[in-house]
Amino acid sequence: MLNDITFGQYYPITSFVHNMDARAKILLSIAMIVAIFLADNFYGLLLVTGFTLFMILVAKLPLFRVLRSLKMILFITIFMTIFTVLFGSKNDAVIAKWWIFVITYQGIVNALFLVLRLILLVVATSVLTLTTTPVALTDAIESLLTPLKWIKFPVHAFAMIMSIALRMIPTLIEETNKIIAAQKARGANFEKGGLIQKAKAMIPVLVPLLVNAFHRSEELANAMDARCYSGSKKRTKYKKLVFTYRDILAVVFVAGLITGIVLLNKPQFANMEILRQILHLFKVQVSW
Amino acid sequence: MQIIATELSYIYNKKSKFATTALNKVSLQIKEGDFLGIIGHTGSGKSTFVQHLNALLRATSGNLQIGEMNLSAAVKKINYTALRSKIGLVFQYPEYQLFADSVANDVVFALKNFQQEMSKEEKERAVREAIEIVGLDYESIKDKSPFELSGGQKRRVAIAGVLISKPEILILDEPAAGLDPNGKLAIMELLHKLHKSWCKTIIIISHDMDEIAENCNTVAVFHHGQVLRSGSPKEVFQETELLQSLGLDIPTTAKLVLQLKKQNIDVDCDLTMKDFVGKIQEKLQQNKRGALC
Repeated sequence: MLNDITFGQYYPITSFVHNMDARAKILLSIAMIVAIFLADNFYGLLLVTGFTLFMILVAKLPLFRVLRSLKMILFITIFMTIFTVLFGSKNDAVIAKWWIFVITYQGIVNALFLVLRLILLVVATSVLTLTTTPVALTDAIESLLTPLKWIKFPVHAFAMIMSIALRMIPTLIEETNKIIAAQKARGANFEKGGLIQKAKAMIPVLVPLLVNAFHRSEELANAMDARCYSGSKKRTKYKKLVFTYRDILAVVFVAGLITGIVLLNKPQFANMEILRQILHLFKVQVSW
Repeated sequence: MQIIATELSYIYNKKSKFATTALNKVSLQIKEGDFLGIIGHTGSGKSTFVQHLNALLRATSGNLQIGEMNLSAAVKKINYTALRSKIGLVFQYPEYQLFADSVANDVVFALKNFQQEMSKEEKERAVREAIEIVGLDYESIKDKSPFELSGGQKRRVAIAGVLISKPEILILDEPAAGLDPNGKLAIMELLHKLHKSWCKTIIIISHDMDEIAENCNTVAVFHHGQVLRSGSPKEVFQETELLQSLGLDIPTTAKLVLQLKKQNIDVDCDLTMKDFVGKIQEKLQQNKRGALC
């Protein structure tokens, strides 16, 4: 029943990107987001798109797997597109007008921009989660948050809680499946009835699940205590994060990308003449 | 109800590259009145097989007939309520599935699902019966929270929660796992009491060969999703080498019989401790008589 939930969608292969330092990947993902918003014309966005595809290629990820993460932004994308297209500014060249709806070239261009940006944002960040294990991610976050230690923020405890929580998700899913099977064997029906009845039917699953989770956390705490775990001492890591030539290379590439976008943002590229003409052509065909 | 499985196969995660064959053409007949013990290594398909018997899992291919009900892969529509009230399945560590605020409310859960038209008094009577058959005192335990009971008591309550629908076939996945020796004995005694009184057929999965030899009249050996051997404990446990190659043990009585055989003493028993001791006594008496003559 719960097998289709993929959390921490790590795709287990080895590639250039998989082998990169998780810290570098996080920082470069942030740089990619900046790049996506920095690009203010189609040439810039095209460059980012090309770079993203290149990234997917280098990470050896199957394209459909990456695009699957777009499912969750499907609705918001459609919604925003419709609104941006229908509510254009009256000061621009108007294509069509009806009641409160105004369709303009600029509106269509804006909508295209928006959709492309959203898609790129999700795809670029899912390359990060697809190539990095959740454990490596939390390690990297801990390392990146080190400055917060100076203001006495418990960075290590925070990272520990996060990695334990991530570690327990598959266990809890497995246990949920077991409990569901057991209650089904006692005649429980999870498909019948309306929303309230369905929610009620989950009580025989949720109560044991919670009880077991508390048991488990107590046992884990005891086990950690028995091994004298203490978050405050300086602890060494089993898997050390190390910057390698890969990370330097990736930094150079992303720096190149951002430079390229800044150059493309120059006025001689900024006018959308080509696109305007394409849209013009489109409109002619439609009215014909 | 008789269970007939023919060439039953089940594949986990079908259509993905993580597909694994959990059952590979399993053919097995379980007669009404059998006390079947299923043995096999972890991951041999035992648990997968028993989950097919009340349609928690549906076969990828093959046929499965339980009494009048057809659970073959090709059959789409199944009356789950009728099936699951007739076939009780007690999972491993069933005490982790207790959820209600009182023992009585937890035990009655299955009845609420299976027989909604039953009156309150009838339900209460059924709960009392189920709690008493598992050897607990109804009056003192019914209002307690299931979470304040001891491990053994919890397990009994969980078993009572399955027994309440009076299943004809009772399946238990390692019913005695994790209990102390006394608790184990008590659970097996309970199953003996249930056999042929409440439930016609009992199927247990166990790693304890003594438990199997002591209680079951048939044994099935699972390995890599297939049934390698099935028959009486005596027949199956004769194949010491095969079982050892699968990483399985043989019961203490079978070991003793084997040792005695090496000393040229043949003991022909059904591998229960009682029968073994009886046969030895017979031998001793014969020997005495022989010595006297």
